[in-house]
Amino acid sequence: MMKEEWRIHSTIFGSLGFALFPAVVAFFAFLGSLTLPLFRDTLPYAAVALLAQILFLLMGVMVGSFGLMGREFMNRRFGQASLVAYASRSLPVSERRIFTAFLVKDTVYYILLYVLPFAVGFAAATPFISLNPAWGLLAFVSLTLAFLMGLSIVCFLSTLYAHSVRLLAGTVVVLGVLALAALRLGAITISTVLPPYAFFLDPGPGPLALALLLILVPSAVSVLFVTVEYPDRTKRFNNSLDPLAERLRALGSAHFIVKDALDLLRSEGGAGKVIFSFLLPIGLIWVCLQILIRFIPGIDPLVVFAVLLGVISATTYNWLTEFDSFSSYAFLPVKVSEVIDSKLKSYGLLGLLPLAVLVLAAATSGGTGTFLPALAAFLSVSAYTLAVTVYLTGLHPNVMLYSAGVFLRYLLAISPALLLLIFASILDPAYAFGSLLLIVPAAFLLFRGRVKWQAWEMPGY
Amino acid sequence: MIEADGLTKDYGSVTAVSGISFCVAEGELFGLLGPNGSGKTTMIRMLTGQIPPTSGSARVMGLDVADDPIGVRKLVGIIPEQETPPSFLTAEEYLHFVASIRHLDSVDERCDRWFDLLEFEDKRNVLCKDLSRGTRQKLMFAQAFLHEPKLALIDEPLINLDPIMQRTVKDFLQEYVRDGGTVFFSTHILEIAEEICDRIGIIHNGRLLHSGPIEDLTGSGRHLEPFFLDLVRGDTGA
Repeated sequence: MMKEEWRIHSTIFGSLGFALFPAVVAFFAFLGSLTLPLFRDTLPYAAVALLAQILFLLMGVMVGSFGLMGREFMNRRFGQASLVAYASRSLPVSERRIFTAFLVKDTVYYILLYVLPFAVGFAAATPFISLNPAWGLLAFVSLTLAFLMGLSIVCFLSTLYAHSVRLLAGTVVVLGVLALAALRLGAITISTVLPPYAFFLDPGPGPLALALLLILVPSAVSVLFVTVEYPDRTKRFNNSLDPLAERLRALGSAHFIVKDALDLLRSEGGAGKVIFSFLLPIGLIWVCLQILIRFIPGIDPLVVFAVLLGVISATTYNWLTEFDSFSSYAFLPVKVSEVIDSKLKSYGLLGLLPLAVLVLAAATSGGTGTFLPALAAFLSVSAYTLAVTVYLTGLHPNVMLYSAGVFLRYLLAISPALLLLIFASILDPAYAFGSLLLIVPAAFLLFRGRVKWQAWEMPGY
Repeated sequence: MIEADGLTKDYGSVTAVSGISFCVAEGELFGLLGPNGSGKTTMIRMLTGQIPPTSGSARVMGLDVADDPIGVRKLVGIIPEQETPPSFLTAEEYLHFVASIRHLDSVDERCDRWFDLLEFEDKRNVLCKDLSRGTRQKLMFAQAFLHEPKLALIDEPLINLDPIMQRTVKDFLQEYVRDGGTVFFSTHILEIAEEICDRIGIIHNGRLLHSGPIEDLTGSGRHLEPFFLDLVRGDTGA
């Protein structure tokens, strides 16, 4: 499986292009670490460490959410049965074993692609910012723990979801009640919620044991109760395409938009995908921002939340292309640019979900005073990030972003704009209105992207 | 209907199709025969504007495929090799989806005709991902002929179909040609070509080794299989 993963990606953008991906992550971690002393007054090291831990926890959550998509995820990502992931069909290997190996492979891959390079980049910078290089090792261990914690928690929740929505809801309610009770009693601190962070600040057996407990117990439950058999039940549906397309006729490309919607609704996981790969990370970000206010007093949580929401919402473009491929249209009188246009319209409709989240966040946090700049920031960042994604990856974001060159350009295009926006909003939330300028490059990139991908031939693999 | 002139396609250092020229006239049933990997699929993808040729040119129904690939695909019906319809639409929804792209009217009647002819009415509400390979091939057949094209380009038309359905499809193709349609198909199953083709081309290692009426062979008492094997083995040994 490791070889397959390597060959799939290296076939598309060359061995060097894929191999350099961790180098790009390390390079950016190195550069970012070098700038830490500049912002130390407003952003203490402890806050940066917390941000990094949250980032990798979220990554674990998002990687783990693939479990919800099961066979379909593998189908789309790896093509049909010629791969090891399908060996249980033709070889005496159980699906449980294959599935476990697949999980382990993906975990190792993500650690090698993201966590290790990030820690190496940070370690390389420590001599220049007067920190002990041993912190690099500590960062690697603690960030790995944070990543695995996110992964195991979402696998646990998705396993419950696979068995019964009621079981999941009941568990969430019980955990919520326990968390509220603990909060009232003052028993919840950042260290108890995020033991890998506590381990980074004060390495010792206590937080390490707690972190391992929070990783191993949910993982064990997930493996024991994971549903690996694929139901043979044939699904039947009446024609929903035409009635729904009729309602969306005014948008144009109505049949494409409805097809995207049906793909999302009818694929395995259904609404669960939205919960685990979007609402859960967004909820975590909101909670973390409330904590960060303690470290950075000038920050406006709603504006920063809106900026991050804009970036995360752009990942919904990945959902829209996950179950689709242009090869399905290549023999019909359809241009790539037409499919991209229809995806953009679907994206616009899906954008109502993060918009509702933003309104909810503003209403519940009393942040209505900064709602308008937050709204501007969300819309602009979402459009800009989407435009960068479309320009760089066309209809293949789930694959192309693993090319070092593409990923580097993606980071270079998005990071400066985001950092500038966040820092400006710390000075005055009204500066977030400046984000509307991003609409201009967004429109340009979308225009260029449509032309660029029309002429692109995907290498066969 | 089809005029290919020196069509060549390189994939990096590999030449999949090398300088092929041929014509297919209106009302012909032309079979492109060749072993696996000989360049048949690449040829069909070039003729339908799905991939651009490295050099050479082709005109399909009067349109240059490089200049107007969408125009070509509007006019013709295409059944690609091993392409599956989108997973989460039902068979009926997929045909309606194709009909919307082709701006067709009377869609229900068109769909009913194909569900009836290819005998998969009971699968119309089943998700494409749950269809058997044979039923998926029927569905791909239906989408290719939904707009009643004058020319159909088919990559392995009978793949995954049972013998009864193979007979139905062969009869349909022959009737379609009798009614003025033109068919260009590729296959490595020689019996099909021998049974239904007017003319054949034999391709090997990307080069066209032979092109001519099937009658030239059968009329002189020869069979296609030994002719094909001699030609291909001779080319391999050359």
